[in-house]
Amino acid sequence: MAPSAQSGPKPPVHFSSSLTIAELAVLTGAHHISIHSESVIHPRARLDSLAGRVTIGRRCVVHERAMIGGSASSGLTSARSSVASPGVLSPTAAVAGSGGEASQSATPQSVTLGDYVTVEVGATIEAGGTAVGDGTVVGVGARVGAGAVVGKHCTLTPQSVVSPGEVVPDFTVVLANGMRRTDRRGMTELKNKGLARQIEVLRRLISSKPAKFA
Amino acid sequence: MSSRRPPRGEYIETDTGNKVARKATLVGTQNIMLGGKTVIQPDAIIRGDLVRTIHPSSQSGGNAAPQNNTAISIGRYCFLSRNCCLRPPGRLYKGAFTYMPLRMGDHVFIGAGSVVQAASIGSHVHIGAGSVIGEFAIIKDYVRILDGTVVPPNMVIPSFSIVAGQPARVIGEVPEGGHEAFELRDLYKTVGNNPQPAPH
Amino acid sequence: MATAFTPYSYIQCPCSDITLTDRRSGGSPTTSEPDGDDHAFDPRAPRSSFSLYPLEYLMYCEDCHQIRCPRCVAEEIVTYYCPNCLFEVPSSNLKSEGNRCNRSCFQCPVCIGPLAITSVETKPDPNLLAAPDNSATPLAGPYALTCSYCLWTSTEVGIQFDKHNGIHAQLAKLRNGGTTRLTAKERKERRKDPSYKGQPPPTDSQDLDHEAQFANLKAFYQGQLADPNAADAGLALLGDLGFSSPTSLSRIMSIYTGGGLLHDKKAKARLGAMREALDPDEGLLVASLDESAAIAKLRSEGLDGTASAAQRLGQAPNLVEPPLHGRERFLDSLRPVPHLLRTKRSKRCPVCRHIISKPESKVQTTRFRIRLVAGSYIPSISVRQLALSGGTGTGTSASGAAVPGAPLEPLKPAYFLLTFKNPIFETIKVTLGAPVTTPGRFASRVTVICPEFEVDANTDVWDEALKDNAERDREQRRRRGESISAGGGGINSANQLEVGKIWERGRNWVSIVVEVVPASLALAPGDPPLREDEDVLEIPMSVRVEWEAEMAGDEVGAAPSRSNSEAREKRELAYWCVLGLGRIRQR
Repeated sequence: MAPSAQSGPKPPVHFSSSLTIAELAVLTGAHHISIHSESVIHPRARLDSLAGRVTIGRRCVVHERAMIGGSASSGLTSARSSVASPGVLSPTAAVAGSGGEASQSATPQSVTLGDYVTVEVGATIEAGGTAVGDGTVVGVGARVGAGAVVGKHCTLTPQSVVSPGEVVPDFTVVLANGMRRTDRRGMTELKNKGLARQIEVLRRLISSKPAKFA
Repeated sequence: MSSRRPPRGEYIETDTGNKVARKATLVGTQNIMLGGKTVIQPDAIIRGDLVRTIHPSSQSGGNAAPQNNTAISIGRYCFLSRNCCLRPPGRLYKGAFTYMPLRMGDHVFIGAGSVVQAASIGSHVHIGAGSVIGEFAIIKDYVRILDGTVVPPNMVIPSFSIVAGQPARVIGEVPEGGHEAFELRDLYKTVGNNPQPAPH
Repeated sequence: MATAFTPYSYIQCPCSDITLTDRRSGGSPTTSEPDGDDHAFDPRAPRSSFSLYPLEYLMYCEDCHQIRCPRCVAEEIVTYYCPNCLFEVPSSNLKSEGNRCNRSCFQCPVCIGPLAITSVETKPDPNLLAAPDNSATPLAGPYALTCSYCLWTSTEVGIQFDKHNGIHAQLAKLRNGGTTRLTAKERKERRKDPSYKGQPPPTDSQDLDHEAQFANLKAFYQGQLADPNAADAGLALLGDLGFSSPTSLSRIMSIYTGGGLLHDKKAKARLGAMREALDPDEGLLVASLDESAAIAKLRSEGLDGTASAAQRLGQAPNLVEPPLHGRERFLDSLRPVPHLLRTKRSKRCPVCRHIISKPESKVQTTRFRIRLVAGSYIPSISVRQLALSGGTGTGTSASGAAVPGAPLEPLKPAYFLLTFKNPIFETIKVTLGAPVTTPGRFASRVTVICPEFEVDANTDVWDEALKDNAERDREQRRRRGESISAGGGGINSANQLEVGKIWERGRNWVSIVVEVVPASLALAPGDPPLREDEDVLEIPMSVRVEWEAEMAGDEVGAAPSRSNSEAREKRELAYWCVLGLGRIRQR
C-alpha cells in the first residue's frame, strides 16, 4: 500500500467530532479547513487550503480524487491527469466579491460547501470565493471554476463545467454538453434522506482517522 | 536492460499472474477478488471496503448462509489503466442504503481516468479513457465504450454495442470481425516488472 | 487537425467494382493490374468511400472465395429484442405491437438517457423534517419515469402511473397532462358497444393522434369496402369532380396498390361508390393552421421551453401528442420514448446465397454458429511510421517509431512499416502493387521497397509460445539480421534500404517498408482551397495473395482455378486496399 502523499504544509483543521475522514484523504494548505458534522471524506480526496479556507457543511460526501480548493495559483495540478483539462483558468481575486451565498467567514480565496453536498469522484472545485449550495451534487469529473456560485439542489452531471465566476441558480441541472435544465422532480427531501442513509453506512465502512490530520 | 532495474519492481506479481502496481490504491483488499492475469496500473483506486450491508437472505430468515462479502470481483485478463477508479454502486434498498457488488468478466479494459460504478460488466469489454460508467449500469459482452463517454446510471448496454456520448447512446455495432480485438492477452504481457514488447 | 493521426488500412470490397470481379485471369506476377497506374484505384473518388472498409467489417464467402462487405451481404433477422430489458420479442408481435419495447423500457425524451421508475414523493409535512424515519416505504405509488442523467421526470409533462409495471400499457392510455386517452382497442369496443351508439362521437379533431386517426380511417374505409350499397348517398353528395372524387381516389389507390384494383371490375365498381371521411370519427383531421396558441406559449416560456429538432425526431411517431401539422414543439408535449427493438441478424453471400454469418438466436449468448470473417482468410496489414535515423547502426534502433501521428514533412521521404500477418495455415505469397504517384491533386511519390514476399503459415501458436523469451528474441534478431546483412549496407540511411528485401519476419508475419515522398500542399494562386482531409496521405495498393490450399472434397467445382485431381490446388485473391499514412504538414 502506497503511503498517503502528505505533501505541502499541514493545514489547521476544525473538525466536527461526528465526521468520517479516511486515512488516505489528503489535506494540504495554510488556511483553516473546517468540516462540519457527519460529513464523509473518502480516501484520496484532496482538500487544499493553500489559497484560502475550505469550509464543508453538514452531511457532505467528498469522494475519491475530488479536489476541493487549490487552483493554478497554488501550483497544484488536478489528479485527473489523463482527462483533458482545458488549461486551468487562472482565478483572479476580482471575482471574490461574488461569493454572496458563502458563509460569513469566507475569505477571498475560500471554498464553501453547504449542507448535503456530494462531490463525486474526480470532481474539482477551484478556490476563489467559490460556493456550492445545499443539496447540490457535483458529478464525476465535473469542474466548478474559481469564484463560481452554484445554487442549492443543483446537479452537475458528470464531466460538466461551471466556468469561473458563474452564478448557477437553485435547482439547475448542468449537462456536460453545456445545456442547463431545471430539476422539477421535487425530490430534495428524499434525496437528503438518501444521503443521510448513505452516510450512516459509510460511517460504518470507512475507518475514520481524524487524529491524523489534527 | 538490467542496469536500470529498480530494486523493487513497480508491480506486485501474484501466483495467479495478477500484476498490481505498488502505487495503486486498493482499499478493503479482502473484498476484492481478482481472477488472475489482471493488470492494475499505478494510481488506480479500487474500493473493496464498500461492501454490501443488507443481505436479502438474512432478512427473510432461515439459515444464515456464509455471507459473501465480495465487493468487487474482476475476471481474468482485465486491464485497469492509470487513474481509473472502481467502486461498487450504492442505492436505497427497502428504505436503507446499501452498496451492491460490482462484477466484471474477463478481458475488460478500463481506460485511464475512467470511473466505473457499474453493477456488472461482461467479458470482452473496452472502456475508453476518461469515461464515466454510472451506478448500476449493466454492460454486456463485446461492448466498446469510446473515450469520454458518460454512461448514465441504470443504463443497459447490450452485447456488440459501440457506445459514445454524454449521455451515452449506442452509435454502432461491433462487426463480426472485430471480436478478436477485445483480447487482452497480448496487452497483459506488455506490462509488469519485465514487460515484453507488443507483438505485431 | 490537432488530434494525432492514426494510420489505417482499408480494404475495398469487390462488390462496388464490376471490372474487379472478372479480372482474375489476367495479370502477371509483378503487376496485378494489366495497365498499371491507368486503372489504379482512386481512394478519393466519390464512390470509394462506399466500398472501403476496415478489415474487421469484412466477411468472406468460402464458396465464392471472395470478400464481402456490409453493403453487399443480404441480412436476415434472427431475433428481435429490447436493448434495455433484453427480452426477446416474437416476430409475430411486431406486426401488432410495433417495433418498440412494450414493457417498461423508456428513454428520456430530453437527453435519451434511460428512464427509471421512481415513486413520486408524497408532499412531506414540513413540520416533520426533523424526524428522520418517515419514509420507511419508499416504493409506494404513484410512480413516475425519471431520467437518471438529466433528471427529467414524466411529472413535468403531467404523467404519473398507478402501478410500477406495465408502464407502456399505462402510458398508452395517458395524455400529457394526465387526461386519459382511448387506445385503439377500446375505441373499437366502444364503437361496437350499443350504449355509446346514440351519443355523439367521443373524439373531436383535437383528440385525434396519429394512432387514433389511422384506426378511424382504417375502420371507415373497411366499413365502406364491406358494404358497397351504403355509400350511394356519399357519391351523390360529392359529385364526380375534385380531388375527393371516387375516380381520383381509385386512381391514387391503383398507383399505390400496383394497379391490381383497376383490373378487378368488381373492385372498381365498389370504389366508385366510396366517399371520403367527413368527421373525426371517420378519421378526418382538419389541419390546425391557427398557431396563435403556440406563439403565445413561446412568448411565455421562451426558447428554453421548446423542443430541439433532435428531441422531436426521437419521439415515437404513434404515441405523440396532437399531431400532424403542429408537431410537438414544446418540451411539455414530449413523451417518454419506448426503446426501439434491436435485432440479431444473419448474413448471406449475395452471389451464392450461402450463409456467411449466423449468430445464435438467444439474446443473451454472444456465440455465432457461422462467422466467416475476412480477418481469418486474408492477411491483416498494420501500418507504423519508421524513424530511420542515421548513426545508431543496429537494427533495433530502427524499430522505434517517429513521433506517432505527427504531420509528414512535404518533399521529405518518410518510411512506413507495413506488417502483413497471415491468418491461414498455409504459406502465402503476397504481391503488392502501388501507383508511383498517388491520385488526386497532390501527387505523392510511393515506392514499395519489397513488393513481393512470402509470409509463413499461421502454425500452432504453442510452437512459438513454448520457446522462452530469450530464444525468441535471438531468433527475431537473427531474422532481422538476415535481411539486413543480405542488403549489404545495413540501414544507416534511407538510401541503403535494399530493394526487394523484407524488413523483418516473424512466425506468421512479415514487415516491409514503403517509402513515400509527400507532395507539397502549396496552392497556386487561384487554386481552390484544400478540401477536408485532402491533406491526408492515402496510398492505394493492390494486394494479391496466392497460396496452395488443400482440395476440399465437398466443394467440387467451386474453386475458380483448374481443379485437377491432386490434393492441392492454387488459390489466389486480389483486392485493392488503401493505406492512410498521415497528414502532410501545411505551410
